[in-house]
Amino acid sequence: MKKILNDPNAYVDEMLEGLCLAHPELQRRGDGGRVIVRSRGAVPGKVGIVTGGGSGHLPVFLGYVGEGLLDSCAVGNVFAGPRMDDCIEAMRAADSGAGVLQLYGNYGGDRMNFDMAAEMLEFEGMATASVRVCDDVASAPAAQGDKRRGVAGLVLVYKVAGARAAAGGTLDQVAAVARKANAACRSIGVALSPCVVPESGQASFAIDEGDVEFGMGIHGEPGIWRGPLKHADALADEMLAHVLPELALAAGDRAAVLVNSVGATPAEELYILYRRVAQVMAERGVTVVRPMVGRYATSMEMAGASLSVMKLDAELETLLAAPAECPFWSVR
Amino acid sequence: MLDVAALTAALPRWCAAMHDAMAELNALDGRLGDADLGVTLDKCATLVEQALPDMPDTLEGVFKRCAQATAKASGSSFGTLLTVALMTGAKRCAGTTSLGRTDLAELLTDIVHVLSARGGAALGDKTVLDGLQAIAQALATAPQDAALRPAARQAARDALDAFRDKPNRMGRARMFADKTIGLDDPGMVALQRMVDAV
Repeated sequence: MKKILNDPNAYVDEMLEGLCLAHPELQRRGDGGRVIVRSRGAVPGKVGIVTGGGSGHLPVFLGYVGEGLLDSCAVGNVFAGPRMDDCIEAMRAADSGAGVLQLYGNYGGDRMNFDMAAEMLEFEGMATASVRVCDDVASAPAAQGDKRRGVAGLVLVYKVAGARAAAGGTLDQVAAVARKANAACRSIGVALSPCVVPESGQASFAIDEGDVEFGMGIHGEPGIWRGPLKHADALADEMLAHVLPELALAAGDRAAVLVNSVGATPAEELYILYRRVAQVMAERGVTVVRPMVGRYATSMEMAGASLSVMKLDAELETLLAAPAECPFWSVR
Repeated sequence: MLDVAALTAALPRWCAAMHDAMAELNALDGRLGDADLGVTLDKCATLVEQALPDMPDTLEGVFKRCAQATAKASGSSFGTLLTVALMTGAKRCAGTTSLGRTDLAELLTDIVHVLSARGGAALGDKTVLDGLQAIAQALATAPQDAALRPAARQAARDALDAFRDKPNRMGRARMFADKTIGLDDPGMVALQRMVDAV
């Protein structure tokens, strides 16, 4: 293991400490400091949006706590779900009386802890709703779409839901538009090299020097096939071939596109991928609105990229364009 | 028979076994998922160890104290399931000073139901539930004078053997079910290490 750290077991807490020093608009809460909230507190009258998940994916999840986005985040160990107590604390911090939407990626540990937290807080009378993002087409067939993992598409769903909440939406309205955004979004990822979970010190998987894992998840979950790395255009074409069919994009449609580095892959290579994605979209007569190319959802030092596409209607497009500000991203 | 003395005495052995199994369970988990099962249980064991000096003197209290410890350790799915199982133990042991063979079998069956409801796995999915169910059945059907520990250990081993060549249908391992044929489920192996230790 070659990482810049002090104690592997302090990896998450020292990261959070540094992050809040660098971004005073965020604060730590909870008995272990594993809840990230906005320093200005819950916004009166606004539906709170809480997320959570394992560390090791910055800016996902906690990096999207901010204006027009999320209100709080329960932070787990690297690649492990947040504790129930932290989910509860995060929900309390997000609550200003208008209810709280849990919005997070579809993973077993996260779901159990958020479900238990909601049950506890519903005893106290808090109105809660829950939407789990499941955009990764490689992780289950379409017929079992609710079993798919949540990956970079989370960012687009955060943006849509956050904007709706900021615009004064009710809990039902914010949850409904989050579901709609999730249903309109598909993603797939490829990995070229593994990452190392600091606490175990081991690579998350082994892969031969010249190979790519197509369809890999953001924790190193195996994908659809593994073989020699193709040219970028061929890779982009195959990623699109997995992402586009379920969206049924037709000429004249509009779509948001996110080409994301899972960590080590440089922006240059993302633009090489995006170039081809944009060509194919143009050939199909689809207008790409607000292309996003960069590091939005990562697996530490893993090399690789993911492609997310969200089919837009007027509501989703308006919400994506609404102002937002967080430590890693701003929309103006 | 399980009473508070036996349970308390088993805890340090359980903790030691979880520390010892960390690398093995990480490696097993890494073939299917994110390689954190060993780390998760290692953290759980560390927090249970810290709670040992002030363990309550009832079965209910010990289960509850352990649940509080593991809940603080991790939100990883297996850690959460362990917490839920311990909470179920605490609830079922309220007012009870000892559990006999059939009580233990019923408790394990209860735990299987609660974990299934919480985690979403069903029996046959090749998860820790199948190991727990096998132990519950072995205890329920064991002869009156049978030694329970060997019966539980054998049941956990038999369950591993019975499921090795079946596909995983739950969690991350589900995504490549056919590739899991021939591989032991990491959660079932963790359970085996637990019953071997206690």
